[in-house]
Amino acid sequence: MSEIEVQKIEDVLLTKGQYVGPTAGVSMLPMLKNRRDTIVVNKKTERLKPLDVALYKRGEQYILHRVLKVTDTGYIIRGDNCYADEIVPEEAVIGVLTEFFRKDKHIVCESDKKYHRYVKNRLKTYKFRRFWVRLKANCINLAKKILRVFGYKSK
Amino acid sequence: MKIKKGFVIRKVGDAHVVVPVGELSKTFHGMINLNETGAFLWKFFTAEHSVNEAVAALCAEYEVDEERARIDAEKFAEVLTKNSFIE
Repeated sequence: MSEIEVQKIEDVLLTKGQYVGPTAGVSMLPMLKNRRDTIVVNKKTERLKPLDVALYKRGEQYILHRVLKVTDTGYIIRGDNCYADEIVPEEAVIGVLTEFFRKDKHIVCESDKKYHRYVKNRLKTYKFRRFWVRLKANCINLAKKILRVFGYKSK
Repeated sequence: MKIKKGFVIRKVGDAHVVVPVGELSKTFHGMINLNETGAFLWKFFTAEHSVNEAVAALCAEYEVDEERARIDAEKFAEVLTKNSFIE
């Protein structure tokens, strides 16, 4: 007998223990591309470890970012494509990323060596990337100021 | 009938899950679980087919009598229609 069942995201983790769904947003680039890739998130059963990717709730919004540090009351978390750390309380974290599909490539977080290399490199290059992004933003701001001095208005 | 574009089917462990991608993921916030036969029918209806054709396909693929296959195919088509998964 064929079976088809449609459930809302918030109910899935509670009832099934695992959510499979699309990605939204750019904060986990280049690992996860907005509305193209698929994530597999398991319900949190124990405290997360550094480098795990946590699914947590901020208000009504679900956010998927990487754990940098485990604290007594929660986690220090940051998206792979973000430049600010967040303090997230333990109770806000509801799941952990265990697998994902990048286009059609299936990646299991725990065992994929290429994924582990990606995570290490992403952390290793963070300071350089942050410097570069800030430099770029400063240059753009400076260029806008110079243009304003000469009477140009930015859009 | 034909399932609208914007869904991908993923096999996670033993489960088959249908996930929206692209523009459709902005409006559809759910997860569709399918069993083996459900996955077969889902893939079958990604091309234009009638329920009668689905019944024939089910009988050819699985050891099932036509009556049982028709109940399954009709029920599946009903859920697809009810959830607006059809083009």
